[in-house]
Amino acid sequence: MKDSNTEQCSCCNPCSKDEVKPDPKSPDRRKFLGASVGIINVGLLAAIAGPVLGFIASPLGRKRSSKWVPVAALEDIPEGAAHEISYKLAIKDGYQDITQKYTVFLTRQGDDVICIDPACTHLGCRVKYQDDQKRFFCPCHGGVFDAEGKVVSGPPPHALDRHKTKVEKGQVWIQREV
Amino acid sequence: MPELLKPEDPHTLSPERKADTTRVGATTEEEIQISRPSLRDWLDLRLGWSGFVRKTLDEPMPAGVGWWQTLGNLLMTLLMFQFITGFALAMYYSAGTQSAYESVKNITYNVPLGSFVRGLHVWGSTIIVLALVTHTLRVFFWGSYKKPRELTWLVGVFIFQVILGFSFTGYLLPWDQKAYWATVVGTRIAATIPVVGDPLLNLIRGGPEVGSLTLTRFYAAHVMLLPALLIGLMGIHLYLVRRHHIAGPVNPQRGKPEPFFPNQLFKDAIVQLVGVGLVIYLALSMPPALEALADPTGVDVAPRPEWYFLGLYELLKVMPAGFEIIATGVIPGAVSLGMIFLPWLDRSESRHPARRQWIIVTGIAVILLIGLMTLKGLLDTPPPHIPAPGHGTTISGH
Repeated sequence: MKDSNTEQCSCCNPCSKDEVKPDPKSPDRRKFLGASVGIINVGLLAAIAGPVLGFIASPLGRKRSSKWVPVAALEDIPEGAAHEISYKLAIKDGYQDITQKYTVFLTRQGDDVICIDPACTHLGCRVKYQDDQKRFFCPCHGGVFDAEGKVVSGPPPHALDRHKTKVEKGQVWIQREV
Repeated sequence: MPELLKPEDPHTLSPERKADTTRVGATTEEEIQISRPSLRDWLDLRLGWSGFVRKTLDEPMPAGVGWWQTLGNLLMTLLMFQFITGFALAMYYSAGTQSAYESVKNITYNVPLGSFVRGLHVWGSTIIVLALVTHTLRVFFWGSYKKPRELTWLVGVFIFQVILGFSFTGYLLPWDQKAYWATVVGTRIAATIPVVGDPLLNLIRGGPEVGSLTLTRFYAAHVMLLPALLIGLMGIHLYLVRRHHIAGPVNPQRGKPEPFFPNQLFKDAIVQLVGVGLVIYLALSMPPALEALADPTGVDVAPRPEWYFLGLYELLKVMPAGFEIIATGVIPGAVSLGMIFLPWLDRSESRHPARRQWIIVTGIAVILLIGLMTLKGLLDTPPPHIPAPGHGTTISGH
């Protein structure tokens, strides 16, 4: 059917006389298409960056819980000095369930037990207790703590961390985050 | 390549032109041979390879350029070696806390040539850092970062940081005591940054503790992210070096620029030979060690980082309580920013060190600070009651 408003062009496509053919070089058209390409690319970037960043950052959302762990019999802890104790704990390490060994220092005064974490409060190295000097020494940056974990010298910003303790039926329990 | 198109000599004709000669009725043997382009010509038409090679070999070297300008090429060679040895090691490595140590032990003690290939990788990283520092110092003292080479310098600084990133992430992979504890301390540095410190620490470690997710994160960064960044940055760096050419000596010397080939390329080859020879010698004479398996309860270790981080390690010792952010963030951050913005901090027109005194004095002060701290770290021995790693350390609880 031939419309009166159309005619056959050289390219054989029927064109409307009233239609204005878009000028591919028009600045507005170029600007619009350029902006569209830009928006599409930003969208593509967001499409890949969003899920990937969320995936990578997922450990941030993990909640820690605290757990009471039996670590020693009260009678095995000598009075006065800091006593090093090792214990095992089932933990979730990323994709695997493992049994991790930890150490803490227990100091007993009567039935009260103080539990000192061996991680230096400076940058996390494990402190070592010197019984003859009644001091904890950090091998990394020279931090020194007294037998109660208070800073004596060096760069640590505060005393060694403590875990909550309780004694039940002669058994010492400590609370720690897992 | 206009010289290739001279019609008088059929051997230098382009493949199309050679094909044209056959249309006139090629009957003789010689003409038939001419009609078939050589493989070289065939490839050249498609790749433009000979033009690229010629342009590279003819790259003008200003008079006075010599041995100091060979370090970039040495770095490229050593980095290529790292890619190759790293690829080979990855075939035997397993990035899990239950398997990483055993896989590195297998590489080191069982796989034929394993100790040597691992040695090339370990010693290669050390020599790369030495070459990188020397290369950077040469550019600094020659003032080669000035207009129009600001971005060449900037990209170089990013390459510097990526290479340190390689060292930091690679150090953990053997999952031995040294690796584990250096990473515990190294990542804890992030936690000293106010406000964002703890989330950042969790993000880097993949959790609150150094564990299996830390290992996979470091491995992914070491073999995927950092190589991709490095290749991209090296490409830009090389493009910029070729675009702006070598800066030449501070005081322009008499004489015409020489082409890169043969004199400078020969010097490069000698330095490459010496550099690679040194890595091979070290890998053979001092095979890489493997300490006891990583143990979070190990109190009998004195963690020490790789020698080029010892300056920072010592700085942390002297910083009083509450001021560790100065050693962990402020000073390294200032040095990094100073390096990044160096071309814009140093506004003097001249490249001569005597005419840009404050920047040279500041630079020397920073170099001395890092040098002295590193030396102090190298000379410092652990307290007597704590044995240094690598000397038959027995780990309590084992």
